[in-house]
Formats: sequence, structure tokens, C-alpha cells
Amino acid sequence: MQYGMIIDLERCVGCHACTIACRAEWEVPVEFYRNWVFRMGPSMVGKELASTYYPGLCNHCSEPPCVAECPVDMEERTFTNFKTGETKTMETAATWKDPFDGTVQIDKNRCIGCGACVDACPYNARYVNPALVDDVSDDGKADKCTYCKPRVEAGSAPACVQTCITGARIFGDLDDPKSAVSLYVKKGARGIEPNGGELGPNSRYYGKKKDMDLLFATHTPELANLDQVRRRAMLASMVKPTMKKIRNLGLLGVVGALMAKGIVEQKKNEE
Amino acid sequence: MAFNITRRKFLQSASLAAVALPLSGAIASESGITRSPLEPKGSLKDETVVGGVCEMCFWRCQLVGKKRGDRLVKLEGNPKSIDNGTTICGRGNAGIQLLYDPDRLKYPLKNVGERGNPKWKRISWKEALDECGTKLKAIRDKYGPQGLCMFPHGATAKYPMHFMERTIGTHNVSEASFFQCRGIRDTAYLATIGKAPNEDVDMANAKVIFLLGCHFGENVHVSHIKRYIQGLQNGAKLIVVDPRYSASAAKSDIWVKIKPGTDTAFLLAIMNYLVVNKKYDAEFIDEYGEGFEEFKQGIKDWSLAKAAKECEIPVAQIKEVADMLAANAPNVSIHPGRHVSWYGNDFQRQRSLACLTGLLGAYFVKGGWVPGKAPKVGKTSWAKKDHGDEHNLNRNADEEPLYPYSPPGTPTDLIRDAALTGKPYPIKGAVIWGQNPIQTIPGQEKMKKVLQQMDFVMCVDVMPTDITMWADILLPEASYLERHDLIKTGTQWDFADKQQQYITARMPLVAPMFERKDHVYITNEIARRMGYEKDIPVQTVAELVDKDLSVAKLSLAQLKKEGGIHLLEGKNPYEMPDDFEIYFYNEDIADAGFPGVPTYVPVEQSPAGYARLLYGRVPLHTFNRTQNNVWLHHAMPDNPVWINDKVATKMGLKDGDVVGFINQEGVKSRTTTTVKTTPGIRTDAVFMAHGYGTANPLMSVAVNAGVDDTSLITKITVDPETGAHGMRTNFVKLTKDGKVIDIPAAV
Repeated sequence: MQYGMIIDLERCVGCHACTIACRAEWEVPVEFYRNWVFRMGPSMVGKELASTYYPGLCNHCSEPPCVAECPVDMEERTFTNFKTGETKTMETAATWKDPFDGTVQIDKNRCIGCGACVDACPYNARYVNPALVDDVSDDGKADKCTYCKPRVEAGSAPACVQTCITGARIFGDLDDPKSAVSLYVKKGARGIEPNGGELGPNSRYYGKKKDMDLLFATHTPELANLDQVRRRAMLASMVKPTMKKIRNLGLLGVVGALMAKGIVEQKKNEE
Repeated sequence: MAFNITRRKFLQSASLAAVALPLSGAIASESGITRSPLEPKGSLKDETVVGGVCEMCFWRCQLVGKKRGDRLVKLEGNPKSIDNGTTICGRGNAGIQLLYDPDRLKYPLKNVGERGNPKWKRISWKEALDECGTKLKAIRDKYGPQGLCMFPHGATAKYPMHFMERTIGTHNVSEASFFQCRGIRDTAYLATIGKAPNEDVDMANAKVIFLLGCHFGENVHVSHIKRYIQGLQNGAKLIVVDPRYSASAAKSDIWVKIKPGTDTAFLLAIMNYLVVNKKYDAEFIDEYGEGFEEFKQGIKDWSLAKAAKECEIPVAQIKEVADMLAANAPNVSIHPGRHVSWYGNDFQRQRSLACLTGLLGAYFVKGGWVPGKAPKVGKTSWAKKDHGDEHNLNRNADEEPLYPYSPPGTPTDLIRDAALTGKPYPIKGAVIWGQNPIQTIPGQEKMKKVLQQMDFVMCVDVMPTDITMWADILLPEASYLERHDLIKTGTQWDFADKQQQYITARMPLVAPMFERKDHVYITNEIARRMGYEKDIPVQTVAELVDKDLSVAKLSLAQLKKEGGIHLLEGKNPYEMPDDFEIYFYNEDIADAGFPGVPTYVPVEQSPAGYARLLYGRVPLHTFNRTQNNVWLHHAMPDNPVWINDKVATKMGLKDGDVVGFINQEGVKSRTTTTVKTTPGIRTDAVFMAHGYGTANPLMSVAVNAGVDDTSLITKITVDPETGAHGMRTNFVKLTKDGKVIDIPAAV
């Protein structure tokens, strides 16, 4: 199974019901977003005028570049297929691609808030919410669209899909050839692949040719520079667990305090 | 960072469980700090409360609330709704940010500073109501009921408005929804087909949808948009007439880039072409038409070539539009529009739309104008009394109306001019209820002078909008999520579906916080203090709604039991009423001294160096009302000015440049906005979204965000038949870095 979402630009009127419903459902702070609607144009596309929308969200990519960049230690995690009850155990960091439904998820309890996944995503689909802090991270936690996994597993539609006033958002299983989303793919719905990328985005767009041309011309991103992402992530993973251990064990002697200070300053210098 | 703090507080105050991490639990017990959970809960398991009816705009979508403890955390469409279903728009979804907006009015306030520059003192409801009652009574006693005026808007303003009109007896009521919006449309259609048209076009089942200025997508009303998109999905052709490549133009098959103000010429040429070429519905006109011969004669000069020149569009395009309409008649939606107070020649344009619909036989047919049949409910309010027309400002010395096709109430400038001159009588008291005349009515300075000369001004509102700065007493009203008020009736949105009707009533989803009160309480308390105790029709708003529901053998309790919405079997919406007539030529209009056949009246052209100021909607704001909503503001924080890209290049402007405005009378905008250059607008006009540029610092999110288009609409134009305003008759230049930049006429 691979969940996916189709955005039908012929139906979309750019009303933002999806973005605001998502804020309400998942308490997304006002300066961040899990999904967005950008308006493009009116601009000339070839000899025609065009104006359309980019209603974006996490693409739950088939090859998600964010997952590989998470520097948190791998741990065993058991996944359950909510439909069949089947389980599967595999090693994951703090973010992974679900082996059953194909969605990309985050374990905020394990997230160290380093932002590597945020930087790795070419779509700006992730952010670090600084309001979410715990013993693992003072810097917040990565957050993004989950395809409303908790709602979907309870039998409801994703919040954005439920509220979409024109039925422009269609959610379903791309692996099921008879699903509504698969029918759209057959009609030509396409994901926005970054230049030179092979990520396999599973949020896909369908529309008139001139509107699709405008969308892809203006919002095809570049892949992230992973060398930079990795360097920062490595540093963060060195600092964070140490800090946590020192503080939590209450063994903060003079030496420990100096060590912690040193690590923090080193981090600052690197930035 | 302020937002984070708010959010944390929210999470804490919602008493959400401590985080699952055992270590955090230990820390929490030691430090006494309760940690927020890392994962938000989502609303699925929250309590569902029914009976909400949205008022983020005036379409009245049916809602359910998701409640966690006492707190409303989310709004959704009511699954039982056959109107909006589970869907609501962006504004509807943001309703909880209005409900909990920290800038909302909380207590009765008295202005101990001056009007326009207020200093607020919190007072008790008793003191506030005593003051309102005493002052209004004193004005009535000294100047008569006509010494009072009212500027109402919205569902809660109807009850106090009826008190003012029917019980106290003043004619001086000006509703923005009529005189600055849709009143012209309603009276023009009344004079043509005997019915106000609303937006009742069966777009879902049309073969052609014809929009004149309507910009769906930027303008969003949920079930209306459903009809529009369903129609397009079913293969309807879309014709959009607009000087700007609007959101609708972007979905169109034909975009008519018309010169502003010339729409009637365009419509007359189409109609003349249909008549001359016998492409109209002769059978329909034989059966229902009146005055068709006079009409034919009256429009015969309007050749395609003449209109093409006037409208600055190709002859072939007008012909293409006319042929497309004729070929698909009668299943065509000629949209009557909504906000139509544009150029001061609007009554004739609206009459033209009604006549065009008739020529195509597009009344009460699939895809045409089809009002739908809603169930009946009561209309409890203050008892009607005849107060005579002696003090009706819309009457001349012979008791004839000055504006015979005025919508209900009195044309705004008749009230303002009387107030300013004291003739024929002084107007010294103003009640402003839910309207923001500062950002609604052209002539901001004039409005301020009107308020300045009053003996007493009171405002009732939810938010501290700009008009509230002019109040002596400012009363905090319960919002649409905290009160009972209206009943809404209707049908399913797609007439192709099983015919159904519904009845719903607005019910509170949460109790009002602070000292906010509802409209019936406030009105009744003032009425008592003015000596109208015995006229009071109901004691509570719930009683009023129950009385009206009883006409349909329903009650609030029953509605609640039924999930907030009562469904009934519907009727065939396409059945033609026995008495249907359409007046192509209307003798009464001619007798009143106006053209009885739809007639084009040219509008004043732009002086050199200026462009016409056009305004419109964005989907996340309802005028100024939603500007302080933090979610909506964040998504659309200002109103970029659209300017033709070639013109912009000539002016040395590029996207994102910060500019201000100066109009033809030298009035400058108080604030600035950014430039949006695009080939999608004519060279002789600029466009911006309406409602931005709030001046009141108490609106801490909205203040000074974007430019207030109304502040630049200083030239006052009045539609001669209706007395309603024309608001697209002002011209602007841009200002940048303190310099005025001319807008070149031709590029």
C-alpha cells in the first residue's frame, strides 16, 4: 500500500480551507505550516495567460531524502498494518517510511530537533516547532504532514480532504489500481520531482496543461545539498545525547559542566 | 515568539495530559511544571456539538464544533448539511481564532477621550445601557425619531434595526449590504421579473456560465462554489467579463478583458445581436415577455462594432459570446452578481442582465435562474407601525421618491447630507451595529464629519473595528459561536440530486466569555429605558427563534435532537410560477423619469497620469471583518496592488516594490502595500483587495496591514435610480519613496 493524495487543480479555487483546517486539527503554530496554497500568475505560459495554485504538503516520497538524513541512533520499531493486524519490525531513526502504508512519519519522542530532515526536504514540507521541547531536545521537534494518519486509521478522511469545498483533494492507495487516486494517475496526475531527483513524490497534481506547466515551471525545486545537511546533523547528534545524559543523571560536576559548555561553544562556532 | 507563548498557554489551559516520557514525568513532579504533549491529539475524539451556523461571511454554512472541555478547538461542516456538507472554507475553519481573539471587545466601554481619538473606560452594563437609553431618548424627544439614524449589518442587526424603524419610527437606516453592495441588483431584477435574484443560478446544471465581474475563488461562498465547479466538471463553458484576469478568468473558456464601466454597452450589443439574428427564445418571450417591441427599438443602435469600440474588445469576441449563449440556451447561467455598486450606472446594467436571461429563456429551466423552494418559518420581530413619509428623506416636496428604485432603508448620502446640513432636519444620534461605515462607505472624511456632529454615537460589535473609534459607548456583542439568532432555510445545492429542503437555526456552541451579550438583550434593555417596554416582542433570542420555528412545527430542542438540521422532502425547482412576467421595457421606470429600456450611460474617464482603482475580494477575508484573525492575516497579510506588467516596467516598478497611493483629489493612502506586476490586468486600471489598512491600534494584528481602498474612494457617485453608491469611479497614482509616479495611459 502507498497512500497518496491528488490535487485536482481544475477543481481547486485556492480558498485555503485545507491549510486552515490543518492548523486547527494539528495545532500548527501560525508561523509554520504542514500544508500551503501558493497562487501563481496571472503569467504568460507560452502564448496563453494562466493562473493557478500550488496546494502543497509532504509528498510522502517513495525514496524520502529526509528519512536517510536523521542522525538519531537506529532502534527497533514494530509496525502494525492497521487493516490486517500484520506486524513488521525494523530499525529506524526518529523518522521513517512506514512499511505498510508508505507514509513518512516522525517519532517526536526521539527527535533531537536538529533540523537535518528539514534541510534535506526539497519541498520545505518540514519545520522544527520550537514550542515542542523535552529532555531530548531544547530546540523543538521536527513536524510535518502525516497524511492525517491517526484520522485515517480511525476511518476518517484527512482534515484537509474532509473540508475541501470542491472535492479537489482526493486521498487513497496508489498501489490499488482501482482507487480514485490511481485513476487520476492514469489520467496524467504527476508529482513534482526535484531537478535531477528520483524521489517519487506521492502527492500529485492534475490540471489543464497550461496550469500544470505554470506549476512545474515555478515550483520544481532543487535537491538539497546533502553534504551540508550531514555535517550539521552529525554535529547535532554529538551534542544532543551528551547534554541529555549530563542533565538527566544529575551528575553535573565541575568537569561535566565544562564539558557541556565546551560542546555548546563548539556548536556555536560551527554555525 | 508571541505566537509560541500563546500556543503553549493554550496547550496548558486545555489541560492536556502530561507527556508520555517517563523522565519528563519525573521532572514534572519535581519542578511542578506540566509538560505539553509532543503530539497534538487531533479533534476526532473531542466532543461534537451541533447547531452552529457560520458567520465568517454571510453565506451561513452549517457547522459542528469540536470541544475539549469548555474550549472549542475546531469547526467543521455539519455532516447532515445538504448545503455545505462536511466542508467549510478557509475563513470558516478560522472561526475559533475570532472566538478567542484577545483583541475582541470584552466589556462595555465608555469613550472618555474624543471621537476618532478615543480613551476607553470600562463601565458596567447598567451604566452603559442607561447612557444609551437616556441619550437616544433625549435625541428622539428633542428632534423626533428622524433625529436618529442607524448603520446596521449582519444577522444580529435586524432586530435592533426593526426597533429603530418600526417602533421608534425613523426611516434613516442605511444597510451596507444594500447601499454599498447588492441592493441595486435586487431592485433592478424586481423591476424586471418581480423577484430579487440572489445568486440563484443553477450553475451545476448549466451548459454555459456567464460571469460579469464575479470572481469566484477570490470570492468564496461554499455551496455557490460547489455549483460553479460542478458545472465546470460537467462540461459547462465559462465566460468571464472582467478588466482583470481573475481567479474565475483563469478557469474560463472566454475572458472578455472589458474596459471598466462599459459592461452595459457589451450586454446591449449581445442582446441586439440575438434579436436581429433571431437567436432569442421567441416562444418564451411570447409567453412571459412584456414591452419587447419597445425594447427592440430601444437597443437597435447597439451594433457589435459600436460596443467593441466602447468596450475596447474585439467584435469577434462579442459575437463569439453571443453565439455561445444562444447555442446553449436556455441552459445558461447569467449570473446576477452580488456586489454590484460599481460605477453609478449600475441599475441599467443589472436590468440588462435580467433581460438577457429572458432573451435566452433562462428562467426556471435547468442551468438557468432557479431560486429553489425553501420551507416557511416565522418572522417574529417588532410590530410594524405606520410612521408616515413626512420625514422620509427619500421623498421630494410632492411626496415622490427621489430614488424610486432604492432598496429598503434610506440612501446613505441622503442621511449623511441631512446630518451635515441640518436640512430638512438635524440627525443627532447614530446607532452602528455590526457595520464599519469608515471602511464600507465612500467618503471617509464625510463619514467622520457626520459622526463628529452627533450628540450621541453608540456601536455594537465583536471586534474594535475602525468605526468603533467614533463611539461614545461601545458594547461587546456575543459572536456567532456564542449566541442564538437566525433561522436558515434552503435546498440541496445541486438540483440534479433528490429534491430536499432544510431548516436550521444558529445555536451557541460555547457560552459567551467576559461580559458579551446578545442583540435581543441589548435592544430590549435600551427599549425599556426609552419607554417602549410594552412593545418588546420577545424576552430572549431563544424565544424568538422558537416562535419562528413553531411555524414549521419545530423547536430549538427538536432541531438539536436532529443534529442541528431538519430535513424535509423538496419540490421541483424548475416549475414556472403562474404569474411569471418579464418586463423588457418597464413603463414605471420611464414614468419615473429614467430609461424604461436598459440603457448604457458612459462613465467619467481617468484623468491623464491616473488609473482607475478597482477592488475585490480575497478568499481569506470578508472585507475588514476578518482582518484581525491571526490565521487569516498570516495567510494573506496585505493586499498587493495589481498593475499591468508593461505599465509597471515603464514606471520603473517591479514585483514587491513598496508603494502608496494618491487619488484624483490629492488624498493619500495612510499606509503602503506591495506591487504585483502581471499581464493579467488592463493598462488603465489597478486592483487591490478590499478591507485592508485598519487604522484602529486595538486591532493589533490588522493595524496598518495593507492599504485601505475605501480611504481612496473620495469621489462620491450615486446610482440615479437607486441612490446606492458607485465605488469604482476614483482614480489613483502610485507613490514610492515620497515621490508621485504617473501611470502612463498607453504602453
